[in-house]
Amino acid sequence: MKKITVYTILPDNENFEIISAYLWELDPAGIEEVDTGLRLYFDAEHDPGEDAITATLEEIKASGQINDFQIMTQVIENRNWNEDWEKNISVINVSDDLVIKPTFKEYTPVGNELILTIDPKMSFGTGEHQTTKLMLLALKKYLHGGEKVLDAGTGSGILAIGAVKLGAASAIAFDNDDWCYDNGIENCRLNEVADKVEIRTCELNDISETNFDLILANIQKNILNQIAGGLADRTKSGGILLLSGLLGDDMEEVTDMYTRHGFTFIEVTEMQEWRMIALKRN
Amino acid sequence: MAKKITGYIKLQIPAGKANPSPPVGPALGQKGVNIMEFCKQFNARTASQDGLIIPVVITVFSDKSFTFITKTPPAPVLLLKAAKLEKGSAIPNRNKVGKVSMAQVEEIAKLKMPDLNANDIEAAKSMVAGTARSMGITVEG
Repeated sequence: MKKITVYTILPDNENFEIISAYLWELDPAGIEEVDTGLRLYFDAEHDPGEDAITATLEEIKASGQINDFQIMTQVIENRNWNEDWEKNISVINVSDDLVIKPTFKEYTPVGNELILTIDPKMSFGTGEHQTTKLMLLALKKYLHGGEKVLDAGTGSGILAIGAVKLGAASAIAFDNDDWCYDNGIENCRLNEVADKVEIRTCELNDISETNFDLILANIQKNILNQIAGGLADRTKSGGILLLSGLLGDDMEEVTDMYTRHGFTFIEVTEMQEWRMIALKRN
Repeated sequence: MAKKITGYIKLQIPAGKANPSPPVGPALGQKGVNIMEFCKQFNARTASQDGLIIPVVITVFSDKSFTFITKTPPAPVLLLKAAKLEKGSAIPNRNKVGKVSMAQVEEIAKLKMPDLNANDIEAAKSMVAGTARSMGITVEG
């Protein structure tokens, strides 16, 4: 399990904005403001050590921003922080015939309902999010059976699993987050699609396969814009690309980017503030 | 009936880069909040501010739901970026480590205006210039 070093810094005043600006020079993963101080979090491999933190605080002290400070150091294990929330997950009805459930919830399918069993843990793709629902609904519309699918930024694997259960022949699902590999494998096994969905920990550039019939990418605007060329290279002519993780304000920029990379806009669907764009490769 | 607030969480995270690891994971996880939902929303809302540190205040309710507001990046971070510096001065009164123009101060003041307790842009500029001086950054012009 990955180790995280947490430095709790207690300065003698609450000039947190300036203190944190100096501390960001040490490139922490993030800073939490607590009642009387700041907590800095570092991955073990990026931990500068207590001496470096002390040296920075001494500089702040010399500059007159603080008069004194205390530091407390703690090493914690990175774990599934979502456990408490997971206890409250309920069964999610995506549509009349598509349901997502966690393993620990009993659910008896009604009629021809398709069940996706997903334990999300620390991966994106809980099934609760509007973007996941938009993508699953789009899969129902654009899959006709037998497709070869690529799921970029797969998270829990929910979309790749959904694609195969909705008729795709196979799916490659990748993510650059280590958590997703074990979680994706586990979810594939739970849904009995491990022989059809291949989970990989890698970047898009590492995917050597091309000519996908359908590609899914539920990420966010900046990353979608960065990988537009890579997705275009891997979508077969006439193939479908479904993009989400987008807000209304992102539509024009992302659509323009993908149009320039050889896609034709088909439609946009929406749920609350979130959007999904369907495009066709020219 | 309004939902009961059970707590506030204050974080500073790089724009568009929230993930379930610390600090987001433990801070939200211990309050039973859906971490992935927060990350998704934060990343989408801040995607256009790539490269900046974004302070965020998350309000957690008794039913484990949450709302959040993002604030403008800290003035010192913006000043360091404008002055192309990695850090401020250890002896700001004597050792000036960089400079920014009044136009840059005004630009930062306009950006910070929603979060500053300033009546007008002149007062905001004065606050930002004061922060610059306290970091050993000279304001020119």
